Amino acid sequence: MAAKREFDTDDTTSAKRVKMENGNGNGNGNGNGNGNGNGNNPYLAHWNDDAQVKKDPSNSADILYKFKRHATTAQAAKAAEDGPLNPFTGTTLSKNYMAILKKRRDLPVHQQRDEFLKLYQENQILVFVGETGSGKTTQIPQFVLFDDLPHLNGKMVACTQPRRVAAMSVAQRVAEEMDVELGAEVGYSIRFEDKTSPSTMLKYMTDGMLLREAMHDNNLARYSTIILDEAHERTLATDILMGLLKEVVLRRKDLKLIIMSATLDATKFQKYFHNAPLLAVPGRTHPVEIFYTPSPERDYVEAALRTVLQIHATEAEGDILLFLTGEEEIEDACRKINLEAQDLIREDAAGPLVVYPLYGTLPPAQQQKIFNPAPPPSKKGGRPGRKCIVSTNIAETSLTIDGIVYVVDPGFSKQKVYNPRIRVESLLVSPISKASAQQRAGRAGRTRPGKCFRLYTEHAFKKELIEQTYPEVLRSNLASTVLELKKLGVDDLVHFDLMDPPAPETLMRALEELNYLACLDDEGELTTLGTLASQFPLDPALAVMLIVSPEFYCSNEILSLTALLSVPQIFVRPAANRKRADEMKELFAHPQGDHLTMLNVYHAFKGEAAQENPKQWCHDHFLSYRALQQADNVRMQLKRIMEREELELMSTPFDNKKYYENIQRALVSGFFMQVAKREGNGKTYTTVKDEQSVLLHPSTVLAQDSEWVVYNEFVLTTKNYIRTVTSVKPEWLLDIAPNYYDIPSFKKGEIKSALQRVATKIARKEAEKVKR
Amino acid sequence: MADSDSEDDYMKMTFDDAPKDPQHETSLQRAARKRKEGEARSRQKSKAECEAEAELVREASLATALPETNKGFKMMAKFGFKQGDTLGKSETAQKEPIQIEIKEGRAGIGVESEKKRKYQEMWDQARREAKRAKEEEGNFFEERRQQQKERKAERDLDNAQRTAERLAEKEAEAENNGGAKEQHLTDINVLWRSRARHQIEHEHDRRLKNELTNSLASRLPTLAQEDNENDNDSKTALGHDVTPFYSTLENELEDEDPELAEFEALPVSERLQKILTFLRETYKYCLYCGHVYEGATMEGCPGVTEEDHD
Repeated sequence: MAAKREFDTDDTTSAKRVKMENGNGNGNGNGNGNGNGNGNNPYLAHWNDDAQVKKDPSNSADILYKFKRHATTAQAAKAAEDGPLNPFTGTTLSKNYMAILKKRRDLPVHQQRDEFLKLYQENQILVFVGETGSGKTTQIPQFVLFDDLPHLNGKMVACTQPRRVAAMSVAQRVAEEMDVELGAEVGYSIRFEDKTSPSTMLKYMTDGMLLREAMHDNNLARYSTIILDEAHERTLATDILMGLLKEVVLRRKDLKLIIMSATLDATKFQKYFHNAPLLAVPGRTHPVEIFYTPSPERDYVEAALRTVLQIHATEAEGDILLFLTGEEEIEDACRKINLEAQDLIREDAAGPLVVYPLYGTLPPAQQQKIFNPAPPPSKKGGRPGRKCIVSTNIAETSLTIDGIVYVVDPGFSKQKVYNPRIRVESLLVSPISKASAQQRAGRAGRTRPGKCFRLYTEHAFKKELIEQTYPEVLRSNLASTVLELKKLGVDDLVHFDLMDPPAPETLMRALEELNYLACLDDEGELTTLGTLASQFPLDPALAVMLIVSPEFYCSNEILSLTALLSVPQIFVRPAANRKRADEMKELFAHPQGDHLTMLNVYHAFKGEAAQENPKQWCHDHFLSYRALQQADNVRMQLKRIMEREELELMSTPFDNKKYYENIQRALVSGFFMQVAKREGNGKTYTTVKDEQSVLLHPSTVLAQDSEWVVYNEFVLTTKNYIRTVTSVKPEWLLDIAPNYYDIPSFKKGEIKSALQRVATKIARKEAEKVKR
Repeated sequence: MADSDSEDDYMKMTFDDAPKDPQHETSLQRAARKRKEGEARSRQKSKAECEAEAELVREASLATALPETNKGFKMMAKFGFKQGDTLGKSETAQKEPIQIEIKEGRAGIGVESEKKRKYQEMWDQARREAKRAKEEEGNFFEERRQQQKERKAERDLDNAQRTAERLAEKEAEAENNGGAKEQHLTDINVLWRSRARHQIEHEHDRRLKNELTNSLASRLPTLAQEDNENDNDSKTALGHDVTPFYSTLENELEDEDPELAEFEALPVSERLQKILTFLRETYKYCLYCGHVYEGATMEGCPGVTEEDHD
């Protein structure tokens, strides 16, 4: 169901793996520190060289050696910053550095550097609130460096980000500000990419990454200060980290913790962390005038388009940001705005307008376009040009686009929901929260006073929107989180102190699923299989499938399949060319189902013909080159883990008639809890145990006559769909997952009697065999 | 009670031989039933039906909490978890999973509630109007019925009074053998005294009118002339009587009659009731039968009121 989640949001994963891989390959789990006692290892002498060098004052700016740790002042730090030598590297500071430094000192946070240092020095935990534009993400970690001096103690400062893009770009910026090479003193660590070195003292990383590190280093010993940035976003990993760090700070009195939030509702964080002190820095924002519609809108997309065009035709210069919910809606809106704007421009009723879409799955190069300046007037002295960005809620907090003066907010976003009762995890269009609406409005006031047009009434804003968006931990399947926590040594999950504990049923279901997957025993203890599964940055079902796949002689194929299921959709189906796209998909179709079809695609993609010009080949076959490339990358990462864990990689010969059957059986070993049976001869299927009535997603290649299917996702729209399905035999279910397919425990009904018949048939065959 | 099974429990609340559902089904009936059932089964459900059904099942499942038999529950119980507890240490911890709401179409925020509100308003309005219409309708018919009933009662009252008067006069005549006796208004039974009073009033009015005409005539010379030519008879005929015979009664008109006033203050139906009872008790007469009965029990008459005679 949530196979993609791990790779999409939890960036930890393979990047971390790579790092550990290197470490383990050298017999050293910790490249940076002497913490693990590797300092004596003669083979690793070169690893520690940098640190040694830096400790020699003559080789570096000696100014920092005069600093007394946790007793410095802003003045002293400023003097060090002024150079002329780089206080961290000892090299001469560049002109560029000086220019940036001047700008940095204008940032709001600089006004309160002393105040911050005082609180930081006096407390173990500190809550820091800085509105967008205050400079907190780039400056606070640097303030910390000058006072914490991690490099002199063989430690690091970590600053987490909910998104990999942010971790990367912020690290880049800070490296520039500190006049160092990215990846040297300042680095980042995200999924598939670890840009750090032994000299790294400040590490930007995704929150999921830090969580993964904690699995192997329960005390996070390599860090002297941990900064959780954008905590107000309340991602699953940040929430778990907060629960974990709340315990770690008790064990490690030398560890300092800073929680950074962009919203003023930080009292919740304070309360959670035993009334930690709070420091608030005002952001650099301008007032935003808010407009509501007089009556509710019957079609929010229509209303949004109308509003955008009206702004373009009547309002003063300034760019527009429109929030919509998803890729399809956004692309459609862009097309329509473009068409209508053309008319306006032709009638000379408005200046030029450029429209850019923005959503998560958009290729980075196209995402970058949103930063292009607005177009110039079509003729000298003509009406000014304008750009309009149509975005999902990623522009709400994560991306800052300067120049936005007008925000159009229809009040919806796609949000993940999970319900343990029917085990469905889906993205649904839902009304945003008041906090979200305020955040969106704030986007209009970055450059100058702006306007926000809310496409709902003031009454609806007050009465219908919830105060805060539900944190992710309340909207997610927690199976992999539970596995992680178990690995982290958290035994009593019932009383694990989360800021917003989820419904008990969510934990109940996660434990049950892990038990059926044999990752937890009946007592809730981690099994060997569970420990192994936790090594994989995957959903437990996928991890188990991968681990047991050698038993079905198809681990190579399952490895590919797991990678394919962990990346965005590989099939492309453009609105203008659906028929052709479907014909192309038909080329790869396997009658037994979508999983096997995806595998065929991957094999073709890796084939010689395709690899000659893979980009063109993908384009010709309506496949996403990016997704396939990503799958290739994920596969490589997973393969490393398999090799390390000594899981054999093998294939059934392709000409063996059991080639596909083995793959299907391996599929069952992980997804036996996601099986549906056809109702009679109709099109409807019923999910096993949960007994939900579902339809096969229209995108399936599966022929309609499959009685039993495994599915990858249960998608909730106005209809219930199961997506990515492959046909299986009921005998396999009973054979591979006897615990789950314990017939007496089934509710009376068609599924039970069907299973009963199969069981009888198997028993009869067995008896016959014995007779012979 | 080991042998309770063998003993016949005569206290039990069920009947062994209670008729069960019809057990006997002829082969034709069975065939028909089987065919019907088969048809119902094999009928392809429409898309809408399937969707509605799927949604119903989903909603039902979403409303059902996981049972304690869940394996996860047992693992949690190990750490002291009980049904109804929440996780963690927060006081505001989630008790139930977050509701799933599926948005259909592109209606903006507030449209649904606005629609609901409008529906509610329309519904309330319609209900109020229906209620009022019903009330008005009910009132109208009720009033009409009441009016008719009252008018009928008045007619009956009049009839009964007349009958009573007639019967009373007849009785008096029989007693007095026709000898006219001067009668006071108060001597007349209060039940029909009003009749006599009305008569007198009517007489009085007529007389006053006559007197007025006469007096006018007397003042006119031509007529006065003629007057003299009139004999007493014609005078009487013309109503120019000098000494009216009803003087006593007329005088009484001015008097207070609290008894009558009290009686007249009663509602029509009650007055009618009284007079009917009087007629029965005194004359064994039933107005609705229109018959004087022989026996005191008035055998054959169904009752006092008209309804009894329906």
